[in-house]
Amino acid sequence: MKHTKSWSLLLAAVLLLGACGGGDPDVPGSGSPSGAPTTKGTFKAVVSFGDSLSDVGTYSPPTSLAGDGSAPYFGGQFTTNIVRSSSSVGTVWVENLATSLGLLVTPAEVGFNGSSVKCPAAAVPALAGTCTGYGQGGSRVTDPNGIGKAAGALTVPMVTQIANHLARFTSFKDTDLILVYGGNNDVLIQFAAFADASTLVQIDLAAGRITADQARVAQFNAQTKAQVEVKKAAQELAGYVRTQILAKGGKYVAVMTLNDISDTPFGKKTVPANARPVLTDLSRSFNLWLRDGLTGQPVQLIDTFAIFKETLAHPGTFGFTNVTDAACDVDKIKAVTGGRVTDGSSLFCNNTPDPRINGMTAGADSTTWLFADSVHPTTGGHKAISNAFIAQLKSFGWL
Amino acid sequence: MTPRQQLIAIAIALVATAAMAGNASAQDNTVKFGVSQYTTHSQTNGVTGLGVPPGADVKTGDATTVILTYERMFTPNIGVELVLGLPPRIKANAAGSVAFLGDDVLSAKNVSPTLFAAYHFGETGSTWRPYLGAGINYTRFVGIQSKLASDVKMSDSTGWAVQAGIDYALTKEWGLFGSVSALKVKTKVVASGPTVLQTTVDFRPVVYSLGVAYRF
Repeated sequence: MKHTKSWSLLLAAVLLLGACGGGDPDVPGSGSPSGAPTTKGTFKAVVSFGDSLSDVGTYSPPTSLAGDGSAPYFGGQFTTNIVRSSSSVGTVWVENLATSLGLLVTPAEVGFNGSSVKCPAAAVPALAGTCTGYGQGGSRVTDPNGIGKAAGALTVPMVTQIANHLARFTSFKDTDLILVYGGNNDVLIQFAAFADASTLVQIDLAAGRITADQARVAQFNAQTKAQVEVKKAAQELAGYVRTQILAKGGKYVAVMTLNDISDTPFGKKTVPANARPVLTDLSRSFNLWLRDGLTGQPVQLIDTFAIFKETLAHPGTFGFTNVTDAACDVDKIKAVTGGRVTDGSSLFCNNTPDPRINGMTAGADSTTWLFADSVHPTTGGHKAISNAFIAQLKSFGWL
Repeated sequence: MTPRQQLIAIAIALVATAAMAGNASAQDNTVKFGVSQYTTHSQTNGVTGLGVPPGADVKTGDATTVILTYERMFTPNIGVELVLGLPPRIKANAAGSVAFLGDDVLSAKNVSPTLFAAYHFGETGSTWRPYLGAGINYTRFVGIQSKLASDVKMSDSTGWAVQAGIDYALTKEWGLFGSVSALKVKTKVVASGPTVLQTTVDFRPVVYSLGVAYRF
């Protein structure tokens, strides 16, 4: 009996450990989520929250071929765009994933420069439930002032994206496949703040106003400030998953970590080599606190960081011949937009041969090049992401 | 058994052996009060964590404290001594690639009781009596402070302890002593702040003590 008791105690301890997500309780982020469903889902909707990587067409109107905000659009997605009519499906990973499930996902909100329409697909009553693609280019986790806000982007933050879903659909359903993939813009904005501070420090150092050690301390403090903000965003996102998704009926919830942004053309070509580790570690810090905030929670984490590293380590395996350059051409996009867009944003990058709208770099291929612009994937890149995510969802037993 | 459990078991065995070793002589208790210099010769496995450059390290410093010991003689030559001290605050300075962060990046008070089994040379009543001891040290870290992280955890340490000392009798009851001891004090540090920093600090302390002794 005594043995039975101690064994059952041990078993109870192991089960408790399992419920807590394991790991070293003293080391944040060393545990894992636990308790997510392991059975196949009967999905009727793909509900996606995030940023430009998950944006299925929020900012389509400025890419209207007619120039009046109406479809068809030559851009509107952050990738190498196809021309989309009002009913055609684009090439973003969220759409690829939905298509593989036989589902349709449309933008939750479409517009620009202060005027927008929520759930435009509802004009066709049968499609009223499809506008669950909430991701918007520039969106952050909590801060409504996302990247591009001043230029007219909506950048509805993830906290509001989730609130909007609850306002429209009351709660999450067992038939929702919920995908939460954000935080990139929080990392980018905090890294930009670090880079700005760092530049000033270097100027002061060069002018002899501070010593080398004072410069190192100032850089360290700037990095710490960025880490504090990134941690805050990650903890907030984990909090929204717990209190606004799981607590509101969310059952099949997959949360993505961030990839290493220093692996993008932005990271490799714009960021100085000595600042790249700072950028890498901001992504990793976000992932650490996100994981920490979801430890023991019934969600599945998809480690996009590792998935991207694997893709970059073996590009050929995934069908890529170029993983360093942007497939969209800055000058062509400038020409296509009448000089309005000067940063080569793939939002305005079209992949058709039509010279009036084509934005591709000479020799670039939308399926074998990984990056469309400085940070966003091509059509092939999105395909690789959706393939990897589908494989993960299968491994969870959800598909 | 874990190493820690093994050490505790050895300590209990030592005390038990000493207790059974026979009747004590007339003066079988000694209390000592002294000043100690707690010097560290720390080694770490480096400080690792997100945002930490390669080669980051810390180096621990020294501290002075007072100690109180109690020894019970179980034979004229063998005793068991418990050493308690006012916990010294040990500070760690940034070192290696992050030396620019300066001094006192982490500090903690080491609550560090040590139990020795000691062999005393000579005879009861000798003026000079050298002794050698071996035993275990348990160290718990309290009052942890760091300007780099809001939440720092340091694991408890249990390790071996050895000491050599000499007693000098002034009267039958009163005397002076001097001793030097070496301890194994090792802790795993997890500092959670904006990111999570980790290191293992092996303090490698050597403690020099001087003071007065009273026998009864």
